[in-house]
Amino acid sequence: MNASCAATLTRDSDHWVGRFVAMASPCEVLIDHAPASLAQQVLNTVAAEAWRIERRFSRYRTDSAVHSINANAGTETVVDEECANLLDFAATLTRLSSGAFDITSGVLRKAWTFDGGDRVPAQAQIDVLLESVGWHKVEWRRPLLKLRPGMQIDFGGIGKEYAVDAAANLAAKVAPGLSCLINFGGDVAVRNARQNDEPWRVGIESFMQHGAAERVVKLSRGALATSGDSRRFVLRDGYRYSHILDARTGWPVRNAPHSITVAADTCTQAGTITTLAMLQGENAEQMLRDSGLQYWLQ
Amino acid sequence: MKDNDSFNATLAAATCALLGSTVAAPVAAQAEDGGWSFDSTLLYYGESDNRVRDISAAVSTLRDFGDERKLSGTLTADTLTGASASGAIALNRPQTFTSPSGRAVYTTPADEVPLDDTFLDTRFALNASWTQPLARLYTVSAGVGFSTEYDYTHIGANLSLARDFNKRNTTVNAGVAWSQDDVDPVGGRPTALSQMLDVGDNSNKRDGSESKDVLDLLLGFTQVLNRTTVLRVNYSYSDSSGYLNDPYKLLSVVDPVTGDTLARVPIGQGPNGVYLFESRPDARTKQSLYAEVKHSFGAPVMHFSYRYMTDDWGIDSHTGEVRLRWPLGDGYIEPQLRYYTQSAADFYRASLANGTALPRYASADFRLGDFDATTIGVKYGHGTTTGNEWSIRAEYYQQNGSVPGEQIIGNQADREQYPDLSAVIVQFGYRFRL
Repeated sequence: MNASCAATLTRDSDHWVGRFVAMASPCEVLIDHAPASLAQQVLNTVAAEAWRIERRFSRYRTDSAVHSINANAGTETVVDEECANLLDFAATLTRLSSGAFDITSGVLRKAWTFDGGDRVPAQAQIDVLLESVGWHKVEWRRPLLKLRPGMQIDFGGIGKEYAVDAAANLAAKVAPGLSCLINFGGDVAVRNARQNDEPWRVGIESFMQHGAAERVVKLSRGALATSGDSRRFVLRDGYRYSHILDARTGWPVRNAPHSITVAADTCTQAGTITTLAMLQGENAEQMLRDSGLQYWLQ
Repeated sequence: MKDNDSFNATLAAATCALLGSTVAAPVAAQAEDGGWSFDSTLLYYGESDNRVRDISAAVSTLRDFGDERKLSGTLTADTLTGASASGAIALNRPQTFTSPSGRAVYTTPADEVPLDDTFLDTRFALNASWTQPLARLYTVSAGVGFSTEYDYTHIGANLSLARDFNKRNTTVNAGVAWSQDDVDPVGGRPTALSQMLDVGDNSNKRDGSESKDVLDLLLGFTQVLNRTTVLRVNYSYSDSSGYLNDPYKLLSVVDPVTGDTLARVPIGQGPNGVYLFESRPDARTKQSLYAEVKHSFGAPVMHFSYRYMTDDWGIDSHTGEVRLRWPLGDGYIEPQLRYYTQSAADFYRASLANGTALPRYASADFRLGDFDATTIGVKYGHGTTTGNEWSIRAEYYQQNGSVPGEQIIGNQADREQYPDLSAVIVQFGYRFRL
C-alpha cells in the first residue's frame, strides 16, 4: 500500500493532523508547526511503519511472520531479530504475571465472544483449548521457535503499543526535535515538547458513553496506554467479565476496572502495565500503585 | 507482587531490550484541570388568572481541579409577584380582609376565591460545595447555603460521604444536612388560631422572628446494572421543628348550617367576616424513598423515577416521572411527563364551623390539601461547535384538588372550594466553559 494515498494530512490552526487506519484502529499523527513537506514526510514514515508492523505481525494476514509460525506449528521455525525481541519480551511478561499473560492464549477466543451478551462457553470446551495454551509448552531457543501442533501465538496486547513506540522513534529520526503525537487507537506516544511549550491534550473515552471524553490528559512527553472493556465484555450472573483472558484458567478476568490508563516513558511500558494490572482483576489498583506510574481508573 | 522494585526493573529492562537503545525523555503527563464551567438559566413561571409569577435567573459554576476535586456554586435571584390563595373560602358577597401589614384592607369580589395580592418578593440565594476524594474509594462533599428575602432568611450546611464498591459499579452514600430558617412576617407574627383584627389593631401579633430547624439524613445507593443501565435508590429522613406556620394563611369561620362565613362589623377599617390565622404543629417528620433508572438505548436515553413520601402530618405523596432524551441533529429533544398526587394533612380544614370545638391544629392552605398535578413538557438542547450547549424547556402544569365531602357545609357545595391551578414554565439555558 502506498502511504500517501491512504493517509490524509490536514492543517488545524497551529498543527498538522494526519489520519490513517492500521491494525483495525483509527490512527492519528499530530505534528507541531512545521512545513507541509516535513509534516507529510513524518506522516508517511509513521503510517508506513504501522502498516509494516501490521503486515509482519498480524495473525490474520497469510503473509505475516506470525501466520507462518502458526501455520508451521509442530515444526521448528527460524524467526528474525525483531520477532525474536517481541518473543523475548512476551516471555518476560508471562514470567512477571505468573502465567496469566501468555501469547499462546489466543486460541481461547474460539470459545469466547465478547459482544456484551451473556454467552459463556462450556468448561469442557475451555479445557480442550487450554491444552494448546501455555508458553512453557513452547520450545524457544532464539532464533528457533517450535510450537506444539494446534498452538498459536499472537502479539495482541503488545503489538500496537510496540508499533507506537517504533513509529515514534522513526518520526524522531525524520524530523529531529519536532514535536509529534502518535495515537494508534488510544495508545499514544509524544516525542519532543511543542514549540509553544503547550502539552498535547489526549481525551480518554468514557466507558459508559462512546465518543465522550471522560478525562483529558495533558501530555508533553512520554506515552499513554489504555486498556478497557468499553466495547468488549460478557455479562453473566451479575459479573462483568472483561475481554482479558487469564491464560491459566481460560476464563476472563472478573471484576477488573472498566478502564485503566497508564502514563509511562514508552507506550510499550504503559501498555504492559495496563494489561498486567487488568489481569489482577480486583487487585488491579494495588499493582498500579506498586508500579509507581501515573494511572487513571474508570 | 513479590518485589515491586525487581518487578519494575525487570519490566524496564525488557522494554529497553525490545525498543533498542533509543530511550525517550521521561514522561510528563497530568490530568487536565477541567477549568470553569457555567450553567446559566432564566426561568419564567406563570400561573393562570394572574396569580403567582416568578422570574428566576441562576448561574451555576463548577470548577474542576482534576483528580476528582471540584468546587461548585450557584447564585440565584428570584422575583415573585402576583397573588396566592389565602385559605379563606369563596362567598356570595364581597369579602374584606386586613392586609398582612395591618395597615390597609383589600376586598375580594363575591364568588371568587380570596387571594392575598400583596404577594411580592425578591429572593437571593447562594450555595457552594466542595467535593474531593477522601481515601481510596471514598469521596467527601461539604456545602453551605444561604438565602434571603424580605421576610425570610435561610442558612444551611451539608456533608456527605460516598464509598465505591465492586470496582466502582456500586456507590453507597450517606449525607446529613442542617438548616435554620428565620421568618420575620410582614406586620408581625399572628397568634395561632387568633382572629384577623381591624386595621391598626396588632394586639394578636408579635414582632420579631421565629425560626425553624430542619435536619435531613440521606442514605443512597447507586448501582451500575450494566453498561447501559444505572439504578439509584435514595432514602431520606427529614425532621423539621420550630415555627412551621405560614403567617399569611387564613381559615374562614362559618355558620354550621349555611356554611357561609360569619359576618363581622369592623370598627373603622377591617375584615367583614370572621377569619382565623392557621395553626400547624411545631414539628414534622418526613420520610421518602426515591428510585431512578437511567437506561441508554444506544444514543437515546430514558429516565424513569418514582418517589414516595410520607409524613406525620398525614400527607402521603407519589411522584412518577419519565423523560426520554432523543438525539436530533447537533442536539437532542427531550419530552417529559410528571405526575404527582398527595393526600391531605390530618389537620387540613376547608373552613371551621362555628360552635364546634376549636381544633388544636387547622390549616386551609391548599398545598396541604388533597390534590394531584400533571406536568407535560419538552426540552430542546443544541450543542455548539465550541462544546457549549443552549437549551429551551417548556412545561405545562395542571393541578386539580378537592375538599373531602364531609368538610363541605351547606351553601359551600354550590361554590368552588378548591380552585384548579394551571401554570406555564419556560426556561432558557446556556452552558459554557471558560
